[in-house]
Amino acid sequence: MNGYHGKVLRVDLSNRRSFEEDLDPDFVKKYVGGVGFGVRWLYDRLKKGKDPFSPEAPLIWATGPLASIRFLGSTGISITLKSPLTGLIADTDMRGRMGGALKGCGYDALLIEGRSERPVYLRVTEGSCQILSGEHLWGMDTRQTQQALLLDPENKNSLVASIGVAGERLVKYANIHSELQFFAGRTGAGALMGSKNLKALVLKGNKKAPVADMKKVRELVKTISSKIETDGTCDTLSRYGTWNTTAPAHLNGILPTKNFQTTSFSEIGQIDGDALLETIYAGKRTCPGCPIGCRRVVKGEIPYPFSTEFAGPQYETVAAMGPLLLNGNPYVIGKANELCNLYGIDTISAGVAIAFAMECFDRGVLSERDIGFPLRWGDGEGILKMIERISLREGLGDLLAEGVRSASERIGNGSSEWAIHVKGLEVPMHDPRGKKGMGLAYATAFKGADHESSMHDEAYQRENALPELGFTHPMSRKQFEGKAALVKSLQDYWGVMSDVVSICKFPMIPPRPLKPRLLVELLNAVTGWHLSMEDFLTVGERIFNVARLFNVREGVSRKDDLLPLRFEEPLKEGGSAGEAYPRRELEKLLDEYYTLRGWSTEGIPTSETLKKLGLEDLEVST
Amino acid sequence: MSIRVRFLSAFQDLTEGRKVFTVEGDRVLSALQDLEGQVPGLREKLRLSEGTIHPAYHLFLLRKGRQLLCQDLHQALEDGDELVITPVISGG
Repeated sequence: MNGYHGKVLRVDLSNRRSFEEDLDPDFVKKYVGGVGFGVRWLYDRLKKGKDPFSPEAPLIWATGPLASIRFLGSTGISITLKSPLTGLIADTDMRGRMGGALKGCGYDALLIEGRSERPVYLRVTEGSCQILSGEHLWGMDTRQTQQALLLDPENKNSLVASIGVAGERLVKYANIHSELQFFAGRTGAGALMGSKNLKALVLKGNKKAPVADMKKVRELVKTISSKIETDGTCDTLSRYGTWNTTAPAHLNGILPTKNFQTTSFSEIGQIDGDALLETIYAGKRTCPGCPIGCRRVVKGEIPYPFSTEFAGPQYETVAAMGPLLLNGNPYVIGKANELCNLYGIDTISAGVAIAFAMECFDRGVLSERDIGFPLRWGDGEGILKMIERISLREGLGDLLAEGVRSASERIGNGSSEWAIHVKGLEVPMHDPRGKKGMGLAYATAFKGADHESSMHDEAYQRENALPELGFTHPMSRKQFEGKAALVKSLQDYWGVMSDVVSICKFPMIPPRPLKPRLLVELLNAVTGWHLSMEDFLTVGERIFNVARLFNVREGVSRKDDLLPLRFEEPLKEGGSAGEAYPRRELEKLLDEYYTLRGWSTEGIPTSETLKKLGLEDLEVST
Repeated sequence: MSIRVRFLSAFQDLTEGRKVFTVEGDRVLSALQDLEGQVPGLREKLRLSEGTIHPAYHLFLLRKGRQLLCQDLHQALEDGDELVITPVISGG
C-alpha cells in the first residue's frame, strides 16, 4: 500500500507484551489514517460506559499517509481516546515529527492498551518495541524527562513524547509533549497516559512508506509552497504567528475577557501581536516542510523568567492567560505558558478553570480561606500559583484539575452559570456571540467546545471564500443563516480530514493556498488512489458519524448539543455589542444541521445515513 | 477631510512600526490612495491588481461606535470615521 507500511504496533502494558498487526487495505481506504483509524478502532474496542481510565481504554496514535514526505506538518500525529475530561470520544493532534518517526519505525499506528503496574516508557525502533522501567522518570517535568531519556546512548537521535507531573496526577486536561515544542493539548490524553503508568514514548527509525507518484508529489509541494511564499496570504502568520489574531479578535468583539463576561479589554495594547513582538518575542521556529514558520520563541527575565526552549504561547494561550483573567502583563503570560508546558497541562482548559475560580472569588462563592489567597482578576502571581496547584492537585487545584464542569457541580451555589464548557470541554478563545458558526461548531463537535473542528466565520465574509465546497456568497460572522451548511461541510473537510491526512490546518484556511482540490491531488499522488472530491468528503463525513455514534452510545443526544447559558446574554460593548446566542436560534440551527447530516431530530444518525456512508455494520443504539 | 487609519498586527514592516496615520479623503478609496502614498509598498500588499482589498486582510470602517466591514471602496466617508486594517482571523 502506497503511503503506508501496512503495520500497526500493539502494546499491552498489563501483560508487558507487544505485537504487530496487518492493516486491512479496505479499512485503510475507508478511514485513510490519523483520527479516521482512531475513531473507528475506539468505537470497536471500547464498550459502552467504560471508565476512560480503565486499563482496556486504548490510547491510539495514528499517522496519516503523508507522514513520510515532510510537508506542512504532515509528520505530525493524531491521538484518539475516550476523554477523561468529557467522558466522550476525543482526538488531539500533535504537529512536529512524532508521526514521521512512527512511520520511520515501520508502523502506521500504535495502539496502547492495558496498565503497567509500575512506571514505564516505551522505546520503539525499526523492528523492536521495548517496555522499559520509567521509575527514574516519574516525578520529572517534561524538560527533565526529555533530557534524561536523550542522555541514554540507546536513545541517541530519538524523538521523545512524554507527560509531565500533571499527567501522572491524572489532571483531567493533562497533555502530551514532544520535543518541548508540540502538544497533544486538549481533552486529557496526558492523563490517560499517566493512568497507564506510561511516562514517555521514544521513537527512532528511518523507514519511509512507499509513494505512488513522487514526481507529482514534488510538483504539488513546489506549487503550494511557492504560493504560500508569494501570494501574501500567510504573511502575517509568518510575522506574528497566531498572535496575528489577538488585535483583530478584540476589534471584532470576540476576544473572551473576564471569563467571557465581556470582549473588551482595556490593556489589549500590552498583549496584542505588536506588543508581544516588542516584549517577549525572541525568534521563530518552523515545522518540517513548512515555509510559514508560525511558531514563536519567547524569552522573559526576572521577575518572570522563562526559557527559549519551549514553544512560545500561541493566540489561545495569550488570550486564556491574558484577557480571560484580566491579565495584561505579557511576561506573566510567557511564564504561565512555560509552567503549563513543564507540568504538562492544556493552557485553554487551565485558563478557563482559573477564570472560573476568579469569578467564584469575585462573587463570594469561594473565600480566601477556600483558595488559600485572594484570587483576584488580573493577579499575575495568583495565576501562576493556581497553575502549580492544579498541576500538583493541591488545595483548590485538586478540584479545578477535574475541569470546570465537575468543579461547578461540587461547588454549587449557582456556579454552573459561569463554568464555561461544552460537554465538559472548556470553551476556547473565540466568543461565539460574535461568530455564530463557531457556536454551532462548539455545540456539535464530538469532543466538546473545539475551535479546530470547523473554520472560523471571519474567513467567509467575502465572496468566493471556498467555491470548491460551494461557499461563494459572503456571510456575516454575526448571521445565523447559512451557518448550518457551513459548519457541517467544514467539520467534515477541515475539522476531520486535516487530522486524517494529518496536515496543518492553517494553510487550508481561505484565502490560503492549500485548497481542497490540491489536498485531494496530494493524497492521490501519495497513495495512488483516484479519490474524487466527493469521495474525499465522504470519508470525513463517515468518520464524523462514527464519532457521533460513539457518543450516542454513551448517552449523547440533542439535549447535550448546547452552549453555556452565558452566551444567551447580549454583549454590552465592543465590536459585537448587542450580539447574543439565544437558545431558540441554536435550536433552529440544530434542526437544519441535523437534517443536513441525515440525523433524527434528536441528533441520532439514521440507518439510511449509515448505509449511505458504508456503515451498515454499526448499530444505532442509545 | 482628515481620517485616522490604524494598522492592527499588519504591515508594521512597511510602516517601520508606526501604527496610526492621518490621511485625506472623501471616500474610502481616496483615503487609501493617500495612505498608500505615505507607505511605500503598501498598495502591492494590501490590494489585488484589480484594486480590491487582498483577501488576507480586512478593512473596517468604524463609525459612531459601529464596526462595518468595508467591501465597497467607493463608500463615502464622514467626519469622525476611522479606518482599521487587520489580518483576517483564521483561528489560533
